Amino acid sequence: MTAPTTNLQDTTGSNSMTQSPEGFLQRTFRAVGAENLSLIIALIVIVAIIASQTEYFFTARNLLNIGQNMAVVGLIAVGMTMVIVSQGLDISVGSIAGCSSVVCALVVVEFGTVPGGLAAGMAIGMVLGLVNATIITMLRVNPVVATLATFSAFRGVAFLIAPGGRPVGVLDQNLAWLGSGRFFQTEAFPGVPVSFVILVFVAIAGHFVMRSTVFGRSTYSMGGNPAAARLAGINLTKMKYIIYSISGALSGLAGVIVTARTSSGQPASGTQGLELEAITAVFLGGALLAGGKGTVVGTMLAVVLLATLSNGMNLLGIATFYQLVAKGLLLVLAVAIGQWRMARAEKAQAKLTAQGKA
Amino acid sequence: MSTDPQSPGRVVLDVNGVGKSFPGVRALSDVTMRVHSGEVVAFVGENGAGKSTLLKILCGDYQLDDGEVQIDGIVASHASPLEARNAGFRLVRQEPEIVPDLSVAENIFIGEYPTTGFGRVSFDAMRNQTQELLERYGFATMIDVNTLGGALSPAQMHIVEIIRALKPGVKVIAFDEPTSSLTSRETEALFALIGILKREGLGVIYVSHRLHEIMEIADRVLVVKDGVPTGDLAIGDTDEEGIVRLMVGRELEHGVQRTETTRDDVVLEVKNLSSRWHRDISFQIRAGEILGFGGLVGAGRTELAKVLFGEYPKSGGEVRISGETKLIRRPADAIAANIGFAPENRKSEGLILVRSVLENASMAVFNKLSRLGVLHGQQMRATVEPYIHQLEIKTPSLDQDVGKLSGGNQQKVVLARWLAAGPKLLILDEPTRAVDVGAKAEIYRLIDELAKQGLAIMLISSEMPELLSMSDRIMVMRDGEIIGPIEKADATEELIVGHAIGGAAA
Repeated sequence: MTAPTTNLQDTTGSNSMTQSPEGFLQRTFRAVGAENLSLIIALIVIVAIIASQTEYFFTARNLLNIGQNMAVVGLIAVGMTMVIVSQGLDISVGSIAGCSSVVCALVVVEFGTVPGGLAAGMAIGMVLGLVNATIITMLRVNPVVATLATFSAFRGVAFLIAPGGRPVGVLDQNLAWLGSGRFFQTEAFPGVPVSFVILVFVAIAGHFVMRSTVFGRSTYSMGGNPAAARLAGINLTKMKYIIYSISGALSGLAGVIVTARTSSGQPASGTQGLELEAITAVFLGGALLAGGKGTVVGTMLAVVLLATLSNGMNLLGIATFYQLVAKGLLLVLAVAIGQWRMARAEKAQAKLTAQGKA
Repeated sequence: MSTDPQSPGRVVLDVNGVGKSFPGVRALSDVTMRVHSGEVVAFVGENGAGKSTLLKILCGDYQLDDGEVQIDGIVASHASPLEARNAGFRLVRQEPEIVPDLSVAENIFIGEYPTTGFGRVSFDAMRNQTQELLERYGFATMIDVNTLGGALSPAQMHIVEIIRALKPGVKVIAFDEPTSSLTSRETEALFALIGILKREGLGVIYVSHRLHEIMEIADRVLVVKDGVPTGDLAIGDTDEEGIVRLMVGRELEHGVQRTETTRDDVVLEVKNLSSRWHRDISFQIRAGEILGFGGLVGAGRTELAKVLFGEYPKSGGEVRISGETKLIRRPADAIAANIGFAPENRKSEGLILVRSVLENASMAVFNKLSRLGVLHGQQMRATVEPYIHQLEIKTPSLDQDVGKLSGGNQQKVVLARWLAAGPKLLILDEPTRAVDVGAKAEIYRLIDELAKQGLAIMLISSEMPELLSMSDRIMVMRDGEIIGPIEKADATEELIVGHAIGGAAA
């Protein structure tokens, strides 16, 4: 063992873990992580480019708009992080949000209760998540195929429950506040969007769950190696039910926000294409297609990056069609980076094995 | 292709001083052998002796490091699989690749379909040629050319694999454990076929553990042990005991002097256990005892471990831990019953390579380290750290990904996980597989230490010296049944190998 730069640097034998003193920069680097750091750098570069082209970018109004716009996709991306870390995928999230949007609007119109509408929207999301989990576990359908099927089916359900298949108008001040309300609004300051605050709370909760709970750690284990996780006593079926119902419930919450913002239950508009954006954010945030890796923090950084990019392209007057192409390219890029990273790690491990060092 | 049926003709396969290494292992060294036209040469040796490696070199799957191979006078030392095949070497694999949705004829001609003009596949020509081959080699009554691959029995699949190998150009044919899926009637048909092949002047290589078959069918036998040939004898000059003697006899380089630590209390009691793989298995392991499990690969040892651990279902019988009957339906039940299990294949079943040492070592006890589902980070580290030190796991920190550790340290992380769970019974399936020599010695010392602390240990091992030196008593499995226990004092390699292959020594 003569290579102190490798990961097997310990040579003392008696003390098996080396605690090398490290500087502030190294510590920060470790705490933030290489993946997150590269996201932050990318964000800075994008911001610099956009800001150099338009003065409007750095106004409080624009920045807070970005915050409001990322709430819907951000909520879904928190659930999607759990799903992808567990080696799954959920393509039906946008359709679930559509159903929830309609259900929420119907409940608020019928019973006049906003908390009731919120609860109903999230509940229907959770139920649809359970449907996904049932198809995946009981019928043993691959998650991609299962949620591609429900991607279509749930969208159909959204149109079916909306009377006449049309948007359900709902005029309620309290509901509208959820979508476009602002905290700390003054004449000089446009205020912090309520929906952004909701996202921040959900993201913090999601981060805590993934990082510090038995459920979260088990999610990483099952995603990293399902066979080993099962042999360590983790009940994979139960885990899948919980994971997909959380993803469903958060998609439901996103649907409620859409209803609140547009003052109508929307079966399709506003919730289409969310799956693509959420999945892109999770992979861009450092998750691996093979599962077992990914953090809520990384996903949130990617959500900010995507929202900034989209905002910047709008400000610069780039046509929507180009934006669609850009979104597709980003997804490929995000997954390709992950694959490359994994291949590099495998190569390092192979080299290690070849050296045959203990 | 026709030579005098009685006297062996020219050399059709010439293997000269062939050697092959894998990282950390010398798999074959200096193997020299000749197969003559019309001759049957048997390869024998224990699990991992190098038989498969040699076959894989000959058929082009592996490339040799030194030496030379000639197939019917043509140098084929670095042949690709296709080149080896075209030169005339054909391997009948133990587990044939059969496409379920293609007919027998299509399966046989796959990759080289006969065509009419314009590239259209000629199904008639294919069927006729297949029928001819089946009739010529005596299988016409056992298989129909139009049957789909998915509807074939294991024996019929084997016939397809054999006929594939016998297509024109064959000079040497090698059978890898051909009778393991055959009934006695089918085995007779196979032997009749080998008779035909001899008369046609082919060279035949026959790899098997079944010594009585070798005595019946082979002209010569090549014995390999740890990659080195220990004997190349005419069959008339030896007998089954003589062959077994050449297969065994090795010292454990970095062994441990086990001290007797068996106590009185029985930890594991298995009574009349049966499952898909097993019939009527009964045994006991006491506290402080290491019970070894020997046998051939595929005898059902790993499956037994998984049945005990709740990964596979049992169909009957009883399992008691410390006198209490336990119903174990899934791994979580086994963990609750204080059983730990380090599986044979640590990368695919033991570890989460992309997660940290800390997580891997603590994942079996997440529930004990948490309150209301929230993990106590400090307590996690405090629980795992002593084992990292005790096992001397070399890692820069607890947060290092397990995938970045070496094989020996990875295996120790699996051990740390189960030690943290505080088991009474630890099942170790091939604990030193793919671990280098130095780390092996450390793992032996640890296992010894754990037995001293009063754990009951079930040690599954295919490495004879390991099994003999580490075990207090040894059970041998053969085809899902159990033989033994053999007391340490009586255990010899000959006896265990004899039980495992069911030879005359049994």
